[in-house]
Amino acid sequence: MKRFALFLALALATSLAAAQAWPSRPVRIVAPYAAGGPIDISARLVAAKLQESLGQPVVVENRPGAGGNLGVDYVAKSAPDGHTVVVGAIATHAINPTLMGSVPYDPIKDFRHVTLMVQVPNILIVNLELPAKSVGELVALAKSRPGRLDFASGSTGSTGHLAGELFKGMTGTFMVHIPYKGAAPAVLDLMAGRVHLMFDNLASALANVRSGKVRALAVTTKARSGFLPDLPTLDESGLKGFDMTTWWGIMAPGKTPQPVVERLNAEVLKAMAAPDVRERLRAMGSEQPAIRTPEQFTAFVAAEQKTYAELVKRSGAKPD
Amino acid sequence: MEIFSNLALGFGVALSPFNLMMCLVGVILGTLIGVLPGVGPVATIAMLLPITFNLDPIGALIMLAGIYYGAQYGGSTTAILVNLPGESSSVVTCLEGYQMARRGRAGPALATAAIGSFFAGCVSTLVVALFAPPLAEVALKFGPSEYFSLMVLGLVAATVLAHGSLIKAIAMVLLGLLLGLVGTDVNSGVLRFAFGVSELADGIGFVVVAMGMFGLAEIIVNLEQTDKREVFTSKVGSLMPSREDFKRMTPSILRGTVIGSALGILPGGGALLASFAAYTVEKKVSKYAHEFGKGAIEGVAGPESANNAGAQTSFIPLLTLGIPGNAVMALMIGAMMIQGIAPGPQVMTERPQLFWGMIASMWVGNLMLVILNLPMIGLWIKLLTVPYRILYPAILVFMCIGVFSLSNNPFDVLIMAFFGVLGYICAKLACEPAPMILGFILGPLMEENLRRAMLLSRGDPLVFFQKPISATFLIISILLLVVISLPALRSKREEAFAGDEQK
Repeated sequence: MKRFALFLALALATSLAAAQAWPSRPVRIVAPYAAGGPIDISARLVAAKLQESLGQPVVVENRPGAGGNLGVDYVAKSAPDGHTVVVGAIATHAINPTLMGSVPYDPIKDFRHVTLMVQVPNILIVNLELPAKSVGELVALAKSRPGRLDFASGSTGSTGHLAGELFKGMTGTFMVHIPYKGAAPAVLDLMAGRVHLMFDNLASALANVRSGKVRALAVTTKARSGFLPDLPTLDESGLKGFDMTTWWGIMAPGKTPQPVVERLNAEVLKAMAAPDVRERLRAMGSEQPAIRTPEQFTAFVAAEQKTYAELVKRSGAKPD
Repeated sequence: MEIFSNLALGFGVALSPFNLMMCLVGVILGTLIGVLPGVGPVATIAMLLPITFNLDPIGALIMLAGIYYGAQYGGSTTAILVNLPGESSSVVTCLEGYQMARRGRAGPALATAAIGSFFAGCVSTLVVALFAPPLAEVALKFGPSEYFSLMVLGLVAATVLAHGSLIKAIAMVLLGLLLGLVGTDVNSGVLRFAFGVSELADGIGFVVVAMGMFGLAEIIVNLEQTDKREVFTSKVGSLMPSREDFKRMTPSILRGTVIGSALGILPGGGALLASFAAYTVEKKVSKYAHEFGKGAIEGVAGPESANNAGAQTSFIPLLTLGIPGNAVMALMIGAMMIQGIAPGPQVMTERPQLFWGMIASMWVGNLMLVILNLPMIGLWIKLLTVPYRILYPAILVFMCIGVFSLSNNPFDVLIMAFFGVLGYICAKLACEPAPMILGFILGPLMEENLRRAMLLSRGDPLVFFQKPISATFLIISILLLVVISLPALRSKREEAFAGDEQK
């Protein structure tokens, strides 16, 4: 018994020491998606700043695969010492667990949700020749032609798809979902008029909206976006309570000590507040998220997981 | 003439000392990663993105573009010398280029690739400069049904890729199609043929398959021949193409340039098809068709020009519509957005310096590449004098590193090993890997577009014949099938008659 207590004390001491000494080695940020995408870019932006403030190299490592699950699972099972963290996203932590039936990690228990980095709204865009000029007109049009309108998305189970399904559910309309491999070819077909509407990421849709290649009808967040202040929200267009964003943030393995999580949270927030990083995150369509602390982030992830579990089930996107 | 003032503006930007240096850095880096098997431009550009944050946007984009077409140049070098295609476009270069190297003509093959690429680069740069906005409309005309029919045409043409038996070629195309099905189904999200391995959820990577089937299999086959192992060095001939070579490559380069420029405009895999299409055309048109498979210079000149032209014109959908044609273009969009530039039609009017500067730098970069690469040919050939006991392990190590770096996952290395064994078995059975690779690339695209077209038409298959572009492709495919099968029928009948006479 004495020995055990000694062992316990020793273990505690070393873990405390580890926390104080963190980071004692280079820090790896695993980006569970391909290089060059928005998640990867934001990780690299923050990594460059962290490197200066932590005094240790901070490396971004891409581990794509299985909709982000491979990289996330890898970090869930890594040593919880703060030297390996991951960029967890709405897909890996809210949608995939229901969409894929099961994932090899628990999105809540296996992680410390450190800092929410980016929150981007989707916007509802339509082909220019579609007669609908507002959400109300679109709903009326869809009701007059049930099953004739097509809505595109970047993939089955993406936020764009689920937003469309939620829209259908709330308005009682029926439209056909046309999935693509990525949003870019979907937008191309939207411009050409082969599909009628889609819910696209604000950052990528912005240029096409401003150059008049597509028409924006509404934004999916509860509050209007600073990028398009004249664009109404779905909530104010009659779809009460419609509120969706695409988000991602830094997460650490579940047993990472509290001091390390707190320090990392502070450093990431500091990095995000740096004017150049802030400006570039803004270019990706993200304003500074209101969620700041790890506790808020965990509560947010849990709430999102619940929302999307229901939505995925209702949409029928789940493969059988 | 607005175009001249525009180009003058562009060259003014591209020829500034800083931008020249960025261009040079880009093409040198590109050439290097192109030569290293498996390390592709996607990974390189991604790693360099953070460095570009603090650069002037024009310089940054010029460098990234330089990496892209530099890698195309470098990729053909390893394809020709050691049968290792690092890029999908250099798969075809392996076919004739490597055979030329085996016959001691690695020098002329490398020179042909460089000259063809340069010429194609010059022409297609001009195409981009002159016609980018109207050509963007062409990209808009291609919907799911048009892409599907284009892929059908590509697959039918694939059977021409094979040198031996037609049946074996078709079997290999089908094998490729099947392998292409592995992964998540786009429409339903169901996992297919993944056997519970989550690494297979996104399908099998192209580079992994190509490196296994070509490079690894080639090494195994060569090691097997203990007594008469091939020695290239004893028969390294002249480094430069002869006058005869020039005469033969010229029309091929012209044809390749046209094909590549046209297909490069299509964002959904058009540029991928370019080198395959050019090879098919050369084989059908060339007077030296009998030399194909044994190192025909046309088979290097055509596809090499086509892939470079395609690489260049694939900037058209990016610059005019903001639609990326391939993974590298998607990265360029990322790079532009980081710089606060929203890609799209407004780039040309709002930031003419950037638009025209990039176009002018493409030409400058191509010139740099040809100046860099022609003198390097001697050096590359020296690589072949390295003894096999050193060369092969070195190649293997580079391949493993390259494949591992794709997604930092050792699983990919295992998959490559698997395809190495498969490639060896295919070599023993005299089955060619090239048709399989084409099936593997086109199969998923074809399925995706077929199902999307059917969804949009609410299940009416006639849609493929109602759209003029799509119908044209299908009719050409049918004609091509008839032409291909006729000689086969004829020879079968001749065999049958010969059998009758013997009785």
